[in-house]
Amino acid sequence: MTSSTAKATQDRTQAVFYAIAYAVATMFVVGAYATGSLDNFVQYAGLAPILESWQLKDYTELLAFILIVLLGSTVALLGGQTSIIMAVGTVGSFFALTFNQHPLIQYLTLAAVLFAIGLYGMVVSRNAVRVLMSIELMLNAVNINLVAFARYVDPVQVKGQLFAIFVITVAAAEAAVGLAIVLSIYRNTSTVDMERFNLLKW
Amino acid sequence: MEQFEMLKTWAETNVESVMFYILATISIPLAYGVILDRAIIRSGFILIGVFGSICGLFLLLQAQFLALAQLMIYAVGITLVIVIALMLTNPRMERTQLSTAAPANQLGAFMVAVGLFMTIYLSVRPENWTLSSEPLDSANVEVLGRALTTDYSLPFEFASVLLLAALIGAVMLAKAEKPPKPGEDDYEYSVVDDGPTAGDARPDKEPVASGR
Repeated sequence: MTSSTAKATQDRTQAVFYAIAYAVATMFVVGAYATGSLDNFVQYAGLAPILESWQLKDYTELLAFILIVLLGSTVALLGGQTSIIMAVGTVGSFFALTFNQHPLIQYLTLAAVLFAIGLYGMVVSRNAVRVLMSIELMLNAVNINLVAFARYVDPVQVKGQLFAIFVITVAAAEAAVGLAIVLSIYRNTSTVDMERFNLLKW
Repeated sequence: MEQFEMLKTWAETNVESVMFYILATISIPLAYGVILDRAIIRSGFILIGVFGSICGLFLLLQAQFLALAQLMIYAVGITLVIVIALMLTNPRMERTQLSTAAPANQLGAFMVAVGLFMTIYLSVRPENWTLSSEPLDSANVEVLGRALTTDYSLPFEFASVLLLAALIGAVMLAKAEKPPKPGEDDYEYSVVDDGPTAGDARPDKEPVASGR
């Protein structure tokens, strides 16, 4: 009994250690991209003609992104803690992808990251309330998009902010009705598991 | 070393960018916390942090009205409703049974999410936006109010009607139904031997309506 708990503790320590090592590696990759070492490496290793033939000449940051994703999946397969690895990899690739861009593209990329996280959570989670939380996250990502467009594309009439106001209104209505539906389903079936919501199954 | 000097001067000249990166670095792990935390009540409270950092992003984008609305509607209103719903639906159950989906589903969802992100990024990345270099008017709340009461007054009214209908509907849906009296004949009890205590408190012993 004690040996099994000791082994579990050791496994957890190892998983956290892998995750920290991955964080350091991600920092190195992002730093290499930000200081231009990755560009030099591409020139030196002869990868530049390949990128040019795919019309991806100015897209060196994609290389950093792919590197981070590959490193992350390797560490996760080795037994690292997946949630920390996902968070670190997302922040690192976000840095690499937006470092030299216009602010509008930075905001749009952040919104895309949050939207993708919301989509992932919506598919993965089995609690209905958590699914509603993920939907709120996705709606917020859309709001960031709209406000960024209002700031950088249309600063006179700020139509994006108007649309964001309507999105917030509809999100409030959606949250109220969705949670009421979850409550009444819970009252009838005494579960909030998404995979047991088969009330309409005949 | 000169690269650190470069970074320092860059940070001093781009305070807005630095603030953006700080807020983004806060909001992305918090968003992961919302969808991955084991105790779902905690992820309900982490959601406040996500909404707060997005409020900061709105302030950076000079949308003061929206930042305040974000704080009041999302970070207080919607999160409060979600936490109350969590308390009413027994969140302790999730800890043991239903934390996440099957690993195959998780992998598929991860691939779909990364693919979606890459699609959005590659379509957003080309630098042919028609950007406007004008600064945003600091009194853009006035512009918003004027637009809401003139050009957009019809959607505004529709939004208020939608909110009213949705809130009435939510109250109707969430209202606890009265336990039926034993004498009424359009209900029959699924649990026979429960006697007069059939209607109280236990949802799994609640009477089943026969007509559905």
